Amino acid sequence: MNINKILGGKIRILAVAIPVLFILFPFGYSAVASLMAGNVNDAPLFLEKADSEFEECVRDATYMRYHHWELLRYVREEVVRYGKRGDISLQKCQDCHKNREKFCDKCHDAVSMTPDCFECHHYP
Amino acid sequence: MEIEFERIEGRSTQYRVMMFAFAAAVIAGLIATWVVIEEGIWVTGMTSRVPWGLQIVMAVYYIGLSAGSLVISGLYGVFGKTEYKPFARLAVYVAMLFLIAGLLSILTDQGRMDRVFVEPFVYFNLQSMFSINPILYIGHILICIVYLWALFTNRKKLTTVVATLAFGWAFCVHSGTGAIFGFGARVLYESPLLPAAFVAAAMASGTALMILLIVGLFKITKRHVDDVLIVRLGRFLAICLLVVVYFLVMENAYRAYVVELRDAAVYYLFGGLHSILFWFGLVIVGCGIPLLILFRKKTGQSIKWIVIASAMVVFGVLCERYVIVIPGLTHPPELFPGIEISSSVIEEGIATYSISFLEVLQALGVFGAIGFLFSWGLKYMKLLPTEARIDVHTPSKEVPSRPREMKVHG
Amino acid sequence: MKVAGGTIFAGVSSTYAFRILTTPGEGLAGDEIVTTGHRWGMVIDLNKCKPGCTACLDACRHENNVALFGDDRWDIHWIRKVGLHKKDNPGVGEKSILLLCNHCDKPPCAQVCPVRATYKRDDGIVIVDHHRCIGCRYCMIACPYNARSFNFRDNEEWPNKERPKRSHGVAEACHLCAHRLDQGEMPACVEACNAIGAGAIYVGDLNDPESNVSSLIASNAVKRIREDLGTEPKVYYVGL
Repeated sequence: MNINKILGGKIRILAVAIPVLFILFPFGYSAVASLMAGNVNDAPLFLEKADSEFEECVRDATYMRYHHWELLRYVREEVVRYGKRGDISLQKCQDCHKNREKFCDKCHDAVSMTPDCFECHHYP
Repeated sequence: MEIEFERIEGRSTQYRVMMFAFAAAVIAGLIATWVVIEEGIWVTGMTSRVPWGLQIVMAVYYIGLSAGSLVISGLYGVFGKTEYKPFARLAVYVAMLFLIAGLLSILTDQGRMDRVFVEPFVYFNLQSMFSINPILYIGHILICIVYLWALFTNRKKLTTVVATLAFGWAFCVHSGTGAIFGFGARVLYESPLLPAAFVAAAMASGTALMILLIVGLFKITKRHVDDVLIVRLGRFLAICLLVVVYFLVMENAYRAYVVELRDAAVYYLFGGLHSILFWFGLVIVGCGIPLLILFRKKTGQSIKWIVIASAMVVFGVLCERYVIVIPGLTHPPELFPGIEISSSVIEEGIATYSISFLEVLQALGVFGAIGFLFSWGLKYMKLLPTEARIDVHTPSKEVPSRPREMKVHG
Repeated sequence: MKVAGGTIFAGVSSTYAFRILTTPGEGLAGDEIVTTGHRWGMVIDLNKCKPGCTACLDACRHENNVALFGDDRWDIHWIRKVGLHKKDNPGVGEKSILLLCNHCDKPPCAQVCPVRATYKRDDGIVIVDHHRCIGCRYCMIACPYNARSFNFRDNEEWPNKERPKRSHGVAEACHLCAHRLDQGEMPACVEACNAIGAGAIYVGDLNDPESNVSSLIASNAVKRIREDLGTEPKVYYVGL
């Protein structure tokens, strides 16, 4: 069957454009948001060094850089659901990474992430 | 003879003004929703004691409206009444739009809208009516899309199959919506009759809305519709209304008869603003007067009166939704039977609810969104027939065709 | 184009779902599952409860950062004190009683939660996962005890920085200080009540026949609120 019979001429453009715009919206939004925040540059980020005697975090630095949120999410479920209160928690992170603005926020801002952890959990 | 469908031209000033008004409503609704997201739900009229407000009332109302319009298309698709074929496309399109409106209303009511699209599907809870219903709603929208496609491409077999499926599915949708309240713990909600009453009220309001839409649209676009069709729809509306009245009487009679529910019944019937809406809005305007109009021979045959009755029903069912949702919440759950709570830090006893301006704006925004989509669909899709006559098999060439100013060759 | 869009959408959403469902941090949480074996319950001795005293209420508010907005339409109370008297007979048999989440064995709130954010732990505590709550407020409607609250707005106060507060848009209720029970401590209200010397609130293991709550339930005439509803609350009252 021919879609022309159902839909008119101009609408075909819209029918394609709306889903495409919908899918591309997050990328565009992030781009605009980081432009507004003035964070668009290729210079490497200097996060505050951890203040601790340990060599590395619970995993190596590269893994932590990309996957710390997965660990936190996993631990969160374990704690809330089963009461397994172990060594990892947002409170424990603060032992070494003392400043949120110089550590967490710096990277989150650069990649236009707004995690809502800190709305409820205190991090100095 | 095949029925011809044509788009409306959509170049008149009225059309543009209407589109502009709908768009303005959408923008107002978006702004209101943004304020609610930023500030929290306290800016609406909802409180700790009345956690559901106008948005849920409107959601339930919209979902109800979608049913009845599907029934009209079902008359053709399921029961093979070809004289209703001209309205089938319009009816399915309206049914789909109102379900979308219902979902939008529920969405804008949530405390954390950012989580609505992922969590309910990942952590599905089969025991919760709130988990089952979105599946029913989304299924309904998908079925409507297939149904529309079948109608547009004139697939007779597929139409019958999908129409039957949609018809059954619609019953599930409305029973499910009623079950959100009917299976609840509140005194004024708990009732196994409520899902059935929901189906009845949905069919009444939807039929009434379709009568309004058909008469209005055909008149504005100067198309011909046989009076008999409208009169028959009016008769169908009257039967639906009778069922609504039956459920209404049964439910309230039960509450008034059973001793432990009598207090609740008194509160429901004579307890404040909602009682005025119940008696005036639902009983008199929503059921009584329309029934009188539709059953009197003289007025029941007149298009003008049927339209008035339909408008009253559409308003009456809105009141019905309100008096289901709100009094059930303002009436307190009884913690200590026979004992009164004399002092407390929160508002115990009968709670109060007042609709806030922002909630009205949100509701208007949702209405604007589907109004916009509806008018837009009229312009770009062949929803309206060139004419709707009772006997489609005789060639209409002998009848002098009426002037159609908005004719466009697509 | 449609296919491409669908693929992107399916890809993104399935990746996200996969990320949620997989467990990358295996072994990082504590090993000990503290929720098995216990069945926490509470006994409130109303004869010992001092009239006009708000020690437990204040302790709860401080421990769990429970919001107080200064408007009784939105104020949140995990535990509240209400006065009771017989109908048509004010002044006679005036009594005050503590009301809180009853941690039902068959919680209606957990049944209706569409995302299973409210659920019953293995040790019987009914708890809200605020990370998951979408704020539909169906649990508040299902609860027959009026024990659940909703964060209608943001809480500015943050007295106990060790514990999280809640953002606006999620439901909450008493969780029997699960974080304290997990570490072997008593809930804040119990400690506060003992500190002022009243000792009216007891929390203990109902599975253990020799625990304080089990022996209190055995030796006193205890009542629960609205037992007829079949929700099987685990908060028992002495002298109701």
